[in-house]
Amino acid sequence: MKSLILLSGLGVLTLLSEIFNFKRKIFPVVLLGLLGTIVLSAMYWNTNKHYFNDMMFFDNYAVAFTCLISFIAFAWFLLSQNYFNEETNLTDHFALILFALVGAVIMVSYQNMSMLFLGIETLSLSLYVLAGSRKNDLHSNEAALKYFLMGAFATGFLLFGIALIYGVTGSFNLQTIANYITLNSGNIPALFYTGVLLMMVGMAFKISAAPFHFWAPDVYQGSPLVITAFMATIVKTAAFAAFFRLFFTCFSTIESVWGNIIFVMAILTLAVGNITATYQESVKRMLAYSSIAHAGYMLLAILAMNKFSAGSILFYTAAYSVASITAFTVLSIIINKSNNEAIDAFNGLGKRNPFLAFAMTVAMLSLAGIPPMAGFFGKYYLFNAALQSGQTTIVLVAVLASLVGVYYYFKAIIAMYFKSGSDSSPVEVSFIHKLLLVLTLVLIFAMGLMSDFVIRLL
Amino acid sequence: MIKLVALVPLFPIIGFLLLGLFGKKWSKSLASIVGSGAIFASFVVAVGIFIELLGADAAHKTATFSLFEWIDAGKFSVAISFLIDPLSSLFILIITGIGFLIHLYSAGYMHDDEGHNKFFSYLNLFIFFMLLLVLGSNYVMMFVGWEGVGLCSYLLIGFWFKNTNYNNAAKKAFVMNRIGDLGFLLGIVLIFITFGSVDYATVFEQATHFTSGETVITTITILLFIGAMGKSAQLPLFTWLPDAMAGPTPVSALIHAATMVTAGIYMIARSNILFTLAPVTLEIVAITGLATALFAATIGLAQNDIKKVLAYSTVSQLGLMFLALGVGAYTSGVFHVMTHAFFKALLFLGAGSVIHAMSGEQDIRFMGGLKKHLPITFLTFLIGTMAIAGVPPFAGFFSKDEILAHVFEHNKIMWLLGILTSMMTAFYMFRLFFLVFSGQFRGTKEQAHHLHESPKSMTIPLIVLAVLSVLGGFLGLPETFHAKHLLEGFLEPVFEASEVRMLPNHLTHLTEWALMGVAVITMIIVVLVARSKYVKNNEVPVPESTTLKPAHKLVYNKYFVDEFYNAIFVKPINWLSQKFHSIFELQFIDGIVNGMGSLVVWTGRNLRYAQTGNVGFYIFAMVLSVVLILLVNYLR
Repeated sequence: MKSLILLSGLGVLTLLSEIFNFKRKIFPVVLLGLLGTIVLSAMYWNTNKHYFNDMMFFDNYAVAFTCLISFIAFAWFLLSQNYFNEETNLTDHFALILFALVGAVIMVSYQNMSMLFLGIETLSLSLYVLAGSRKNDLHSNEAALKYFLMGAFATGFLLFGIALIYGVTGSFNLQTIANYITLNSGNIPALFYTGVLLMMVGMAFKISAAPFHFWAPDVYQGSPLVITAFMATIVKTAAFAAFFRLFFTCFSTIESVWGNIIFVMAILTLAVGNITATYQESVKRMLAYSSIAHAGYMLLAILAMNKFSAGSILFYTAAYSVASITAFTVLSIIINKSNNEAIDAFNGLGKRNPFLAFAMTVAMLSLAGIPPMAGFFGKYYLFNAALQSGQTTIVLVAVLASLVGVYYYFKAIIAMYFKSGSDSSPVEVSFIHKLLLVLTLVLIFAMGLMSDFVIRLL
Repeated sequence: MIKLVALVPLFPIIGFLLLGLFGKKWSKSLASIVGSGAIFASFVVAVGIFIELLGADAAHKTATFSLFEWIDAGKFSVAISFLIDPLSSLFILIITGIGFLIHLYSAGYMHDDEGHNKFFSYLNLFIFFMLLLVLGSNYVMMFVGWEGVGLCSYLLIGFWFKNTNYNNAAKKAFVMNRIGDLGFLLGIVLIFITFGSVDYATVFEQATHFTSGETVITTITILLFIGAMGKSAQLPLFTWLPDAMAGPTPVSALIHAATMVTAGIYMIARSNILFTLAPVTLEIVAITGLATALFAATIGLAQNDIKKVLAYSTVSQLGLMFLALGVGAYTSGVFHVMTHAFFKALLFLGAGSVIHAMSGEQDIRFMGGLKKHLPITFLTFLIGTMAIAGVPPFAGFFSKDEILAHVFEHNKIMWLLGILTSMMTAFYMFRLFFLVFSGQFRGTKEQAHHLHESPKSMTIPLIVLAVLSVLGGFLGLPETFHAKHLLEGFLEPVFEASEVRMLPNHLTHLTEWALMGVAVITMIIVVLVARSKYVKNNEVPVPESTTLKPAHKLVYNKYFVDEFYNAIFVKPINWLSQKFHSIFELQFIDGIVNGMGSLVVWTGRNLRYAQTGNVGFYIFAMVLSVVLILLVNYLR
């Protein structure tokens, strides 16, 4: 709870800095603030406190995800340091990002559907603006508009679903709704199930699961790179944590209603994400599809719906986010250098800057799920959770899908080491980016080696 | 000190990592100091462990230290854990002790080689795996070490990888070892199936409940012995060892004489209770060992390459060790491993010193008269030769005599063949010795000009090993001498379970003296023959171009075993794999694999058109999906 207040305070402070003219100093303050958020929320470990008349519930799940989101945000700020130097409306961006983070924290700690809605909207509204933040870039504008239009639709479904459920149960509270289901099993009106399915559609949109994924490739590609990185990591983590929290606390007992649909959705998402990614020339767009594909893997945790799910989803989102941040950092450096986001821009990077190439390789291997990187254990635990619940078919599909994944992730590696590009000048890396890459690389390996530690948290 | 057992393999692996990661930038002296220092540190700990074991009472002679659980899958679990008992402590002492001396020697021998630092990193890695092999407390760890030393052996045989022949030798060693390894692996699997564990303690305890000669035990032991055949170069898997001499000489001394090739003997000695329960296998072991010993000794008679002679003598001596194990004389086998490690390492290092002085020449027909140029090498080589030939009281005499005495109890004909083998051994070793050191120098003038004694770092290991070759035998004096057999007493706890199952059968003192007498007298006669042939008459083996008599030709060409294997196995398999490649692989498997790939890419290309960029279409798809979901829900 204190972390939430700190984040909101930081957001307000950045707005004030515009007025009181200390905006050049705000960057370190924000970084410190984010570290403070991690510490503050970690202090709530094992306290299980309820707030605002049960609107929020800071259980260990919420604490762990708040820490994770704050940490990724920290890394994200390091990644996007250049971006903030270039932009004119510096403080606006800071504030928007921080408020988006506030939304994300609410999304992982809500206990009430109105708070879920509030969190999603806080996050999304900030993002609609951020996606369009390159005002003179047509693609950026297009992305913002598309995102907003489709997001509005999805929100409509979500809200409609909440309303229907409220209509039946008379409550927004997750626990009350869960109790309603157990008490009235057998004579729950169809209205309620419709509500559940509509909510599911809304959430599936947010995590970009097929067939509600159409917005993602266009928006990811059109938005400024760092915003794409933000959407692919923090937004995805928060949305998924919210999705899982909702279904785990409320709807885990009526799996017969949504189980098959999510099953089909997961297969579609895995197939569309992975297969379409193989044909992409732009690395940014490839990462967009890969992010769709990863949503497919994460859906396995919802299908599993057992005591292993929460831990495996935490591990998976962490591993995925860290590797993605690494990949986006390298990509941003490359785009800065050559103004080209196609896979060719990576040609010969192994010689031009071995460290960058190594970082990218590790990130790709982790995303592809090659041991001993974190990504492998992320998949391992997810598949294990699904198998424990007897979901053999979907695990088989996921394994096949990840084989396809290897193909496009290795395209980048092959370009870096086995092809030589027209440009062979060395690539410079700023100190902060080097620091960030070292940090993420260490994390990718450390999480792989000490996966037990993370997985036992939840 | 026993509690520090984990340090023994730890030092070499640290040495390997340091040398492997940073060695490229280091100076040669730093690399050799780190490499040798790591082994010396292990040696100190090994000595400490050994002394502590000597002082311990019977109940404390065995200790297990588990570091962590490595594999835990269902009923199958393997721990990284170390077993310290008299047998393993003796082996780590030999490995680290001789290993250290050979590291020291390499600092001089490899000094001018550009791969000097890499060489030390490989050597350290080898020592690590070898220690793992003997220290592990279960068969899986032994297997890990077993494969690890095989890898290092491959790397070191092919160390001068620019030479194609050396590469082929490395490949040959690797492939032949794989054949044996398969047997070993199957043996481990069968052990797990039979006993439900791969842990020595559990397996050996449960084995005592089996009666002698049960099929499953016999099968297990035969499989294990196939593994030993590969690693310890026994018939029919021995041809890789002579070729392995392509590696630098210190490697031949360390890996292909003193340590790795004795892994098979260690494995059987470790599993002695299983073998004792399988008399059939023991008989096979004995016959294979004897046949190998005899066979390799005859080849040794006609070789002209100094290292090849030593290589065949190694194969022959290993055969002798298996003969000892086969007749149930486990202690004698281990005893011979030890003395053989001393004198064979000495002989190889001495040969290295000679080759060093001869600027790389290995053919003994071009040597001769090196006595005055290499005094230390000459003296130490003489000691080594006497030790292997069985001149009393050098190390080899006692261990060989003990083996032959046990063989005599077992079977008189085998004993006779054993005596024949040692006569041949004495002959070819003294032939080698005389041809190298006495007479006139037969090399080129340039070589004569370069002749020099090796540097101190090379001669010191020679002297130390020579001293050990003189004294080593006194650890196991025969009963006739009314002295205590020190080694037998020390190793007793390891072979206890086997010994109660063996028939106690002791020779009278008179027979023992007689056997010893026969061995010594035949040896002396043979040495005299060799002397008159190569010193008095100055005979030199015929040059390459002369046509040989059929028998000589057969032996000189190693009975054409390589050619035979080539025709029977290598060529048909090559033919078969070519057929498989062109028919099965290219058309069938590649077709499927590439087909799958193209299918995915094709789908990807077409699926991408769904991403039209048109928001109207996106929203339409979304709404359609929602409708479908709800519809399905109601129809359910």
